[in-house]
Amino acid sequence: MPKRVCTILSLLLALNLLLAACGSPAPATPTAAPTVPATTVPTSPAPQPTASPQSTATHAFKPVYLTVNMEQQSTWVRNFNPFSGDARTQASTIIYEPMMIYDKATSQLVPWLATAYAWNTDNTLLTFTLRQGVKWSDGQPFTSKDVTYTFDLLNKFPALLNNLGSILTDNIDSWSAPDDFTVQFKFKVVYTPALHLLANQLIVPEHIWKDVADPTTYTNDSPVGTGPFTEVIKFQDQTYTLEKNPYYWQPGKPTFQGMVFPALPGNDQANMSLAQGDLDWAGNFVPDIEKTYVSKDPTDFHYFFVGAESVMLYINPSIKPFDNPDVRKAISMGIDRNSVVNIAEYGYIAPSDATGLSVWEYKPWINPDAVAAGTWTNFDPQKANAMLDAAGLKKGTDGIRIGPDGKPMSYKLLAPNGWTDWIAACQIISQNMKDLGIVITLDNPEQNSWQDEVFSGKFEWTLGWSSGGATPYYFYRGQMSELTVQPIGQPANENWGRYVDPQADKLLAQFATTSDPVLQKSLMNQIEMIFVNDAPALPLFPGPDWYEYVTTRFDGWPTKDNPYAPGPPFAAPSFAPSPLLVVTNIWPK
Amino acid sequence: MKYLLRHIGLYLVAAWASLTLNFLLPRTMPGDPVTALIGRMRGRFSPAQIQALRVAYGFTNAPLWQQYLQYLSHALRGDFGLSISDYPAKVSTIISTALMWTVLLGVVVLLLGFLAGTVLGVIVAWWRGSFLDSILPGLFNFIGSFPYFFLAMLALFFLGFTLKWFPMSHAYADSLSPGWSWAFVGSVLLHLVMPAGTVILVSVGGWLVGMRSTMVAVLAEDYIIMAEAKGLPQWQIMFQYAMRNAILPNFTQFGMSVGFILGGQILTEIVFSYPGLGFYLVRAVTAHDYPLMQALFLMITLAILAANLIVDLLYVRLDPRVRTT
Repeated sequence: MPKRVCTILSLLLALNLLLAACGSPAPATPTAAPTVPATTVPTSPAPQPTASPQSTATHAFKPVYLTVNMEQQSTWVRNFNPFSGDARTQASTIIYEPMMIYDKATSQLVPWLATAYAWNTDNTLLTFTLRQGVKWSDGQPFTSKDVTYTFDLLNKFPALLNNLGSILTDNIDSWSAPDDFTVQFKFKVVYTPALHLLANQLIVPEHIWKDVADPTTYTNDSPVGTGPFTEVIKFQDQTYTLEKNPYYWQPGKPTFQGMVFPALPGNDQANMSLAQGDLDWAGNFVPDIEKTYVSKDPTDFHYFFVGAESVMLYINPSIKPFDNPDVRKAISMGIDRNSVVNIAEYGYIAPSDATGLSVWEYKPWINPDAVAAGTWTNFDPQKANAMLDAAGLKKGTDGIRIGPDGKPMSYKLLAPNGWTDWIAACQIISQNMKDLGIVITLDNPEQNSWQDEVFSGKFEWTLGWSSGGATPYYFYRGQMSELTVQPIGQPANENWGRYVDPQADKLLAQFATTSDPVLQKSLMNQIEMIFVNDAPALPLFPGPDWYEYVTTRFDGWPTKDNPYAPGPPFAAPSFAPSPLLVVTNIWPK
Repeated sequence: MKYLLRHIGLYLVAAWASLTLNFLLPRTMPGDPVTALIGRMRGRFSPAQIQALRVAYGFTNAPLWQQYLQYLSHALRGDFGLSISDYPAKVSTIISTALMWTVLLGVVVLLLGFLAGTVLGVIVAWWRGSFLDSILPGLFNFIGSFPYFFLAMLALFFLGFTLKWFPMSHAYADSLSPGWSWAFVGSVLLHLVMPAGTVILVSVGGWLVGMRSTMVAVLAEDYIIMAEAKGLPQWQIMFQYAMRNAILPNFTQFGMSVGFILGGQILTEIVFSYPGLGFYLVRAVTAHDYPLMQALFLMITLAILAANLIVDLLYVRLDPRVRTT
């Protein structure tokens, strides 16, 4: 008998280990906030908002439901806390609204609960004018008190998920509500990029949340918000339904009864559901999309993929000879980026240019001179070899170059296990490097270990993501600023190579203290030029945002011809709640 | 009585050992919940958000033995705290949503698989060498050695997607509300066909072969010849003499399997979007959701131990020889 107990225990142990081994993430389907090319390029990078959200022709109300695949889940657990970081926070971007929404597709700050913002002359005071006549879904009026209360909450409970973090304590002195429809933020250390973060913050009602003992563990079962869909009328383990807010402030909207969220646990299930026409709106990675999805109903099944933050090749500049920008540029010229996007990303997007800025995301910011100067993203192995020769890295008898330490150049290239698209890209890079006389071996550790190695700065080469935001400020700060540098060994969320350019730092600091769009644009042009000259990291391709829409039942979606808003049904947690722009603009057919 | 006490004591020690393993193993995995979450979102969290998450999931830096004592006392009270991957939902809420479906699927699969396999095993052993005997074990072993995932995907694609005979996902139609209506029960049964059917198909072989081989050995025993000589009816020899003795190993296996039901049919639940515990088990591990992971593993462990204890006790009824040892 004891023998059997031992067997049971060892079985359990095996089960534990087995599960730990399956712990690698499912490939693809990153959640993402998307970007779309603007049809009209705004003249200035940070235009003043217009008076109201896009108004389209009015469409009659129909009592129908929009079926959405917002996140992958096998059963739903009731939780509508917009600060929890849980998956259901996605639905909060339909229930709660911000003062303004930064629309990455048009590079516009769209007025929402606020109608306008204004900086004072020295950028120490930011004033938002709130919209009048907005009501919460329980009929109570929305006022400036709710806004200041929301920021009080974030300040009091640092565990609430938000994008502001230390800005609330380090840069902002106080916030106040001089009257019912005005909110002011007083800065002690000027920081103009805070505008988008403050404007995008989802606002919660004071009269509900003031009675919540601990907002971090509050599951908010019956949310009260200002958004278009707020009423949780059905919540079952497999599906839930949000119905329209009876007090919604946009006249004649929403034009349909509600949204249905079926639980689908994985990409395969979501894709089959999509191909069967059960879903109206999704954001899944679909392999070979023309054949597996569009061909099932070419008139109504559509998709529109764009690129967001660049996926980069990080080469640790603290290892010789990679401290030499010419060596980094030569390596970049040895990479066949077209093969990388065709094989790793099914050719769904185009490769990056040397500025690392996605054309869908930062169109008004891109400096054409910097793009033209960045010839090192063009595939040219011959020139790359010549540059490496010139840098004193001679080829040995076996065709492998000899590094400054006298040993053959051989490095480890990292990508997390199971991230199939990145691994495919690594394989192409490794092939390309053979032609330059550099030996690259692939290493795919489990994602947590990968993160430990990369964040602490102890890697040789790795693929990695990059930071994003409303302006390229965050991208470049995360690539070459002292502000994001951590000592080697300490985990750094960005700037893994610990690269610093003092000149870029100066320009970034200047950028963050001005609200003059013309000055900001010229500063950013210079910063882009520095990035192109230094090549601190090598942009490969913009990380794609998946978005599929079905026009059988609903129309008015963001499309290639009319990209009025980012398409995907989910907003990446670090960006604006863009799904609001879509659900208030589509209509039932 | 002594037999009983000794067994219960043994099982208590095993329960304690598994509780401890359950505490230690998740903590030996590299990384933490926040790292896992950043990875899942592919870096789309801003540094400010990462900071907030670290505060929210605040892992105590208390010494391990203190965490261990706290864990033991909480486990005894059945309090597993808040889930991390579904923060801030209670672990108990999550488990109670999914438990019912896992148990339903598990019980149906196990009972039907066991019954079909055992009865077929008895039949092919009785008429060994017959046409059935040369076909059935081979056929079911062939299906059983298929990678289950592949078989399930084939079923999903052909029976669900192409032919549309059976629903492709979920435990009941989304338009219905759970309740004791014919429409709901019918929908549950219809949704059960593909997930349960595929698992039964691959599991029947194991039961069948196990039953057949012990049955063949038992049929060679003297008492069977004796029974035949006495002129007892065939069915009586087959079921009451041979099967009752031959079923013991399968019965042990059955007890073990009952315990494993709570582990969920992980692949089945994922392929057919069946809302059970298996999906949560996998996600708890990928997300480093220690509270959920501990609760699930503990439940599985205790269920297996309990099932085995019951089998041990039933053995006393089934096999009188055990009583004297």
